[in-house]
Amino acid sequence: MKISHEWLQRYFEKELPDAQALADALTFHAFEIESIENDILDVKVTANRGHDCLCHRGIAKELSAILRLPMKSDPLRAVTNLEASPLGSVGVSVDDSNLCPRYIAGYIKGVAVGPSPEWLRKHLESIGQKSINNVVDATNFVMFSIGQPLHAFDVGKLEQKDGTYAIGVRKARTGEQVHALDGIKYELANSMLVITDENGKEPIGIAGVKGGMPASIMTATKDIIVESANFDGVSVRKTAQQLKLRTDASSRFEQVISAELAAYGMHAVTDLILEIAGGELVGFADAYPQVQQQKSVSVEATQINVILGSQLSDADIADALTRLDLPFTMMADAFVVEPPFERLDLLIPEDIAEEVGRIIGYDKIQPAALAPLQKKPEVNKNFYASERMREEYVAQGYSEVFTSVFADTGERVVANKVDGVRPYLRTTLIDGLKDALERNDRNKDLLGLPEVRLFEIGIVWKGGKEMTVLGTADKAGVREEPLPAHKAHAYEALPLSHAQRFHSFSRYPFITRDIALWVSQGTIEQDVLQVIRSNAGELLVRSEKFDEFKKGERTSFAFRLVFQSFDRTLTDLDANERMESISNALKAKGFEIR
Amino acid sequence: MRGHTHPISSLVREANGIFFNMGFTFAEGPLIESEWYNFDSLNVPKDHPARDMQDTFFIKDEKDMVLRTHTSPVQVRYMEEQMKKGIAPPYRVIVPGKVFRNEATDMTHEAEFFQLEGLVVAEDTSLAQMKWTINQFLEKLFDDIEVETRFRPSFFPFVEPGNEVDMRLIGEKAPEKLRDKWVEMMGAGMVHPNVLKSAGVDSTKYRGFAFGMGLDRLAILRWGIDDIRLMHSGDLRFINQF
Repeated sequence: MKISHEWLQRYFEKELPDAQALADALTFHAFEIESIENDILDVKVTANRGHDCLCHRGIAKELSAILRLPMKSDPLRAVTNLEASPLGSVGVSVDDSNLCPRYIAGYIKGVAVGPSPEWLRKHLESIGQKSINNVVDATNFVMFSIGQPLHAFDVGKLEQKDGTYAIGVRKARTGEQVHALDGIKYELANSMLVITDENGKEPIGIAGVKGGMPASIMTATKDIIVESANFDGVSVRKTAQQLKLRTDASSRFEQVISAELAAYGMHAVTDLILEIAGGELVGFADAYPQVQQQKSVSVEATQINVILGSQLSDADIADALTRLDLPFTMMADAFVVEPPFERLDLLIPEDIAEEVGRIIGYDKIQPAALAPLQKKPEVNKNFYASERMREEYVAQGYSEVFTSVFADTGERVVANKVDGVRPYLRTTLIDGLKDALERNDRNKDLLGLPEVRLFEIGIVWKGGKEMTVLGTADKAGVREEPLPAHKAHAYEALPLSHAQRFHSFSRYPFITRDIALWVSQGTIEQDVLQVIRSNAGELLVRSEKFDEFKKGERTSFAFRLVFQSFDRTLTDLDANERMESISNALKAKGFEIR
Repeated sequence: MRGHTHPISSLVREANGIFFNMGFTFAEGPLIESEWYNFDSLNVPKDHPARDMQDTFFIKDEKDMVLRTHTSPVQVRYMEEQMKKGIAPPYRVIVPGKVFRNEATDMTHEAEFFQLEGLVVAEDTSLAQMKWTINQFLEKLFDDIEVETRFRPSFFPFVEPGNEVDMRLIGEKAPEKLRDKWVEMMGAGMVHPNVLKSAGVDSTKYRGFAFGMGLDRLAILRWGIDDIRLMHSGDLRFINQF
């Protein structure tokens, strides 16, 4: 979620530290920061804090706790009081309050729709949002401020019956269409929730996802109904998924937000609209049958300390809770925490331990050694058997490969593979090994191997079973067998890789050339190689003696030279040139080229 | 001439050696896993946005079966198995193994890769012990290179509190490319009581910690490998360097 430094500053009297300092504070006490650009922090709000932190106020609250900076005013701690709408102007009817726990309609008459003031436009644009008009911008601004998605309908496009307007929330009829604000006509399933004009019987929005064209706000709009509602997270999530329409609203509802928040959203947005678009607030209609209950979590200091391995005092814990604005009372030794309505994530003592731990800082927790165990760990038979075979084959010159479990044929198949290719799960290692053998065989000279030998210990799915098999590949062919079982008593100390750094290799083809020469008795192979290497240039990637024989007094050495470039395909000409300078140098040293 | 062991196998061998000496047993579980073990038992309910954190391969025509997205299901499987045998905690296990993510592959993303999971359950388990254990492992793995770690808050449904662990190598012996640079190493945290409950372990008596890291990532860091897809390439130009 994009968070603006300037926007955050609205919540504080004192000047905030710079964006980098805020990023550090959040990183070590709350959330990872994906990037900072022009004072905009991209905060990776975790899935447990979607309830309260997908907005500037939520992040401001965190910073207030972490940096011990008092907030100027917290909009969610103000008293909300929704006066009832004057009888007969707007009605709200909700079919299923499980899917829509709360729906507030706010009725404002006589707004002047127009461009937003500079400050509002700048705020929205700073976090990558487009400014539309003052009314729509007000709903977006409040959503990004306190996290409550909002929507405004043009009353002029709704039907009036007996002097009243009626907003309905019901399940869509199968095949019912909504012409959404993005210009697309969505065909709905009857699991999806729609907002309707009850008098006109028309859907005017997809609940919690997107508003509809029929009642959209235009320049000519005079009277509006603002929606501040709460929708079931699972239902919104499924609808958004099925319609492939994920919006800022749906991504907040699917995280589940408190129904209490709707009242704060309504207050904030009507205040802002009246300020920047004028008009007169007629009143509110609030359908909220099941009020959110206050929950509490009881936890003792000792419990927090055993979870964290810390030695925090009651005072340390009380301080952390106070900084986080988590009200608590003491009952005997227990902190009875009453989380504010928006903190739906705080349910069990471990949740409180985390709050305390992260605010104090995990760096303050001193590592504590694990005590030695009485019983010895077991030796895993499969792993032991794998290790044994691994060593056996490596000792015989076989190298270990892993090939993909995905295949063109098989008994079991993946239903939703993103790339669509090779969706089956392999029944054998043979195909993968055969392919690897062929590919490596072409690189034999480059690898300096007289013969390519491979093995793989891997899982296959065959005959309804998942099993580990051992496959081997060499010039005699490719075969596999179930991984042989071994009695295991203790792991053996087997060699580890001594590699320091990986060297990337060229993806271009290489050229092999052999050179043979007569050498006098006592000539050392290394001396000849030295001459070859220092006259071959940088394209020589491999050089070694592969043959030696004696004829009378003379000895013949044969060397295999491999040339390769990192940035192009070599030509015969390239190789010929290098070979010529090599043989010239060898001749000059008195060697006779055969 | 000896052949070469795959770098992942070498890492698993090394990690198992380190953890075995700390009392950890090597545990394993199936790659085709039920949604129960892969998600529900780990406190990731159906239709919860947390399931979006992992792109899952579903098995066709097999209800509720997936390619496991992490090695964590083995936490529950292992504890359950022990409880069935009448063996109560303490438990200490590591789970090295293959996992799957349904995503497009590139130099840093693979659909199949390896993880190393660790689980400790006892009456007195704490986050402080988790810090110690992770530090021990990394210190031993990087041998004579000095290692620093830092623990940040994070969220995984199967732990509470949850952490992300960063590591950096310092001092002269650290490879220049990595020296003093913080890199994300693993997720960790105190096992959520719901996970213990799923496995039939008394969550009022026992607590646990768990951690999980990508072995491919560890190998990439350690040896400076430039493309994760080399791991499953079967290419000896890669493997024979180890």
